Amino acid sequence: MLTANERERYDRQIMIPEITEAGQEKLKAARVMIAGAGGLGSPIALYLAAAGIGRLRLVDHDQVTLSNLNRQVLHWSDDVGRKKVDSAGEKLRCLNPDIIVESIHATVAESTIDGMLQDIDVLVDAMDNIPSRFVLNKAAIDHRIPFVHGAVAGFEGRAMTVLPGKTACLRCITRGPVQPETYPVIGVAPAMIGVIEATEVIKYLLNLGGLLTNCMLRYDGMTNDFLKLTVKRNPQCEHCAQVYGKE
Amino acid sequence: MSVQLNIHKTHRRYTDGKDIVEVEGKTVGECLSVLIEKYPGMQNVLFNSKGELLNIVEVYVNGESAYPNELARTVRDGDVIYLVFFLAGG
Repeated sequence: MLTANERERYDRQIMIPEITEAGQEKLKAARVMIAGAGGLGSPIALYLAAAGIGRLRLVDHDQVTLSNLNRQVLHWSDDVGRKKVDSAGEKLRCLNPDIIVESIHATVAESTIDGMLQDIDVLVDAMDNIPSRFVLNKAAIDHRIPFVHGAVAGFEGRAMTVLPGKTACLRCITRGPVQPETYPVIGVAPAMIGVIEATEVIKYLLNLGGLLTNCMLRYDGMTNDFLKLTVKRNPQCEHCAQVYGKE
Repeated sequence: MSVQLNIHKTHRRYTDGKDIVEVEGKTVGECLSVLIEKYPGMQNVLFNSKGELLNIVEVYVNGESAYPNELARTVRDGDVIYLVFFLAGG
């Protein structure tokens, strides 16, 4: 049940015929984990908070540095040195006091991820390296939690949605992890991809439209090209072969 | 047989700035061999020292992923290959 304040706050999206008050109540009841509170995590969290996702769980192990500020728009100059989850959580609670923001200052790893995913409806990738993304992908499949992947470099980005047991996962289409590196990036790239990821979350929760399942969306900000590439599950996938078709 | 190879922007320094290279071949592997013959700098950005595609390389043929047997994937005249990379930043 929405409060009068919530009806007013979300009025413009409740007006969307595909959402209505019933959809807004679903968003309010939803629990979403965002793994990473940086370049991707900032727009994802901002737009999901603004949309009224009832419970956002932010996970990040970093502190804010000056070199983050070209793209990590939830963190401002005065936040340098603070934990990212504290800096981000504060802004999100100001933006929308009607939602619950949980801040977890911890590293995403095989040994920690299971506990982080408790009571989560959707997991969103906002990491900055491939090995961590594989940890998320595997855990999402093990827990049967939909997983929205996104990644960026330079002016480019990509996004894909995984429905465990039903569609191709991240491991299905890649040979294996590579060593973490520091990638060049300008803020508009994670902004674009983060908003696409947030849109996927909202559509999934409301069962609307078409998701980026079995599809890798590539975006090139230099040319303004969007390219939808078809991906398929790998029957020998070491992450999802065991669960495929069992959902 | 002419196949269109789309080169990622970070690797166009190895292809004289070309974003598209036309090659001939019956498989993706043959097409890449022709590419590397013409532009040797592409060898190290696509393959490891054992001649295996790097983990970060993804191959799409006519918009569909060719994984896991990319090099053996057959191609025909007019096919379009995209060489893209697993972006990793966030």
